[in-house]
Amino acid sequence: MIQWLDPKLHPDTPSSSEAASSFKFGRIGAARENKTQVVIKMKGDRKYIWIFLFPMAAFLTLFLYYPFFKSLYFSFYRTKGFFDKKFIGWDNYERLVSDKLLGAATLHTLEIMLYVLIFQVGIALVLAVMVDNITKLKGFFRSVFFFPVVISGTAISLLFVLFYNYNFGLLNNVLAGLGLEKVLWLSETNALKAIAVPTVWHYVGFYFVLFVTAMSKIPEDYYDAAKIEGISGFKKMVKLTIPLILSDIKVVITLAITGTLKVFDFVWVISRAQNGTEVLGTYMYKKAMVDQNFGYGSTVAIYMVVLGVVIALLANRLLKSEEITY
Amino acid sequence: MKRSSLILLSMLVVFTMFLAACGKTEEKNTATEQPKTESEKPKEEAPKKDVSLRVFSTFGGTDAAREAFQAAIDEFVSKNPNVKVENDTMSANDDGFRTKVNTDMTSGNEPDVLFYFVGADAQGFVDAGKVVPLNEILDADPEWKAGFSPAALENTRQKDGNIYAVPLTGFYEGLFVNKKIFADNNLELPTDWDKLKKAVETLSKKGIIPLAAPFDQSHYVIEHFILSAAGAKGHNSGLLDGIDPNWEKGYAAMKELYDLGAFPKDAATIDLSMASNYYGEGKAAMILEGSWAMGNWKDPNVIDNTTVLPFPVMPGGAGTGKDIIGGFGSGFYLPKSTYDNADKKDAAIALLKHLTSPAVIEKIALANGGTPAAAGVEIKGKTQTATDGFAMAASASSVNNPIDSMVAPETFSTLRAGVQAVVTGKKSPADVLKEAKEIEDANKK
Repeated sequence: MIQWLDPKLHPDTPSSSEAASSFKFGRIGAARENKTQVVIKMKGDRKYIWIFLFPMAAFLTLFLYYPFFKSLYFSFYRTKGFFDKKFIGWDNYERLVSDKLLGAATLHTLEIMLYVLIFQVGIALVLAVMVDNITKLKGFFRSVFFFPVVISGTAISLLFVLFYNYNFGLLNNVLAGLGLEKVLWLSETNALKAIAVPTVWHYVGFYFVLFVTAMSKIPEDYYDAAKIEGISGFKKMVKLTIPLILSDIKVVITLAITGTLKVFDFVWVISRAQNGTEVLGTYMYKKAMVDQNFGYGSTVAIYMVVLGVVIALLANRLLKSEEITY
Repeated sequence: MKRSSLILLSMLVVFTMFLAACGKTEEKNTATEQPKTESEKPKEEAPKKDVSLRVFSTFGGTDAAREAFQAAIDEFVSKNPNVKVENDTMSANDDGFRTKVNTDMTSGNEPDVLFYFVGADAQGFVDAGKVVPLNEILDADPEWKAGFSPAALENTRQKDGNIYAVPLTGFYEGLFVNKKIFADNNLELPTDWDKLKKAVETLSKKGIIPLAAPFDQSHYVIEHFILSAAGAKGHNSGLLDGIDPNWEKGYAAMKELYDLGAFPKDAATIDLSMASNYYGEGKAAMILEGSWAMGNWKDPNVIDNTTVLPFPVMPGGAGTGKDIIGGFGSGFYLPKSTYDNADKKDAAIALLKHLTSPAVIEKIALANGGTPAAAGVEIKGKTQTATDGFAMAASASSVNNPIDSMVAPETFSTLRAGVQAVVTGKKSPADVLKEAKEIEDANKK
């Protein structure tokens, strides 16, 4: 399962692998026992389970499933403002297929997704490994890296508007101070990348905290054994830490993918979705709210849901691996 | 661990605060509801029942008339101590408030008095019977009715011939020009197309933004270029009965000026308030804006040197050079829910009358630079610019409602999206108009 535990590779360390395996079986055995107890107990409490589940189920139905099915319903209508709608069958879906703007928006969303997967998840992982390896100020770094997550996306976007602005912007002022030519940061080739920067930065802390928590769950024995083996530094991270938190990485990747499909505030505030930065979130909003074409807006929303599910399933399939228990 | 539990705790605190905030709004709601229940039990002592009214308007945020409007409400409350007025506002800078008004009107959360656009924007809730016609209420109080200038009242008439909204102030749009920048660069004011072109050429070479305008929120750019190209008649005909060939000229002229460097370098990604900022900071020489924008330009170097001109006619254009965009595009509505509520009805009508009394109209017009809707109120500007604007509006050969009140919202979005495509040469004006026409046709099905 885990390479360094293979006795063939390390014939001279039976004690450590033995310890690990006995530890493992001990835990699993105990867990099994617990499970049977719990099952017996739960049978009598079924009523309470339903009582406690009901509020959340009602909440989800009201605010998630009802709007979703309402969107599905609206996607078959041509709406004129809020008061007038007409059944048009599959017309909205036909438009969806031939809509070039939607195609562009999809590509832009996928591009941001790529940046998010590489940089957001990557930076979060690197930071987590670094923080995991220090002994002092761990809590301080955790709070500092987590902080941007608490700030609203719109506030961060407004900040970046002031960084990127061509005439008054901070970046161009710095360039002018250095005697360099001003740069159009939100040009057609640059704009999407410029927006990806705050998007990535905003949520690094969230994934960072997930990774740190996952790493703190790895039993110390593994690291002790690694220490005896003389494995440390980069090798420890690649061979030990990352394989052991792989299931958490999978969760983070799924979260990152679904999160990117919802990107809206950064694009809307920084570039007004102009200059090749239209993403699915802004396109749906424009169609539904600005154009008051709720029918087509709902169709775009349904498309986003389908696309999100497909990509998430695909990612899960690609990352399929054995579950690790310790 | 300790740190992380601290973080969790603080998140909990924040969340509880959020919940507490929710609770407060709910309290407010029940407060609004209260008069209903009280009305069922007649009170012996109080001669008038306590009424709470929610007035929704756009006089909030950075609106120039925000304080004047609040003062008018305060005045009403001090005269009518039994009435509580909740001044509910949302900025008109984005389209968000349209969504807010429309959802409120459809979901049974109507404000007690609503300040909103007339025309196409209001057609939905007018047709749905969500607001009451004010004709009879106006006729019942001749003094109130006579307070309005007849033209203003006429301008708020809906398609069905009824007046649903009583106007407060009107607006005009035009080409605001920084005279100082023109004088410093030895340029003549852009009273005709050649002078405009010359100014654009000279200024862009000197690194001054000639015309502050965004591509996305290009409402005023589209209106003025098409008005100049197609004239009042062509502008007002919209797209439903075919494309006026002169509209193409309007888009072509945008490209002509763009190629001379007329627009800011970042025109594609800025919004209207940033464009207005460029002008207000003296970085731009001209801007196409409405009368309400003047209040935001605080720098005396800019506002004291600003005048406003009608947008010049382009060569071959059908305009007269004195056509302007303007009107009384908005007013106070009385929702049906208020009218049917016996307690609120009288208080709301009294509030309507107060808010549209000549004295209040005059104060608001002074604050936002709009044209007063009251008869006999002297049209005077707070600044020379405002006075120039009134003079321009008075001598206009036609005053036209903006294009977005003539076409469907989605059509207008297509026209807006076409601006960047045309000026950068990605699409021809004909293609953009064809695309918009298709959307307009689909919408009218």
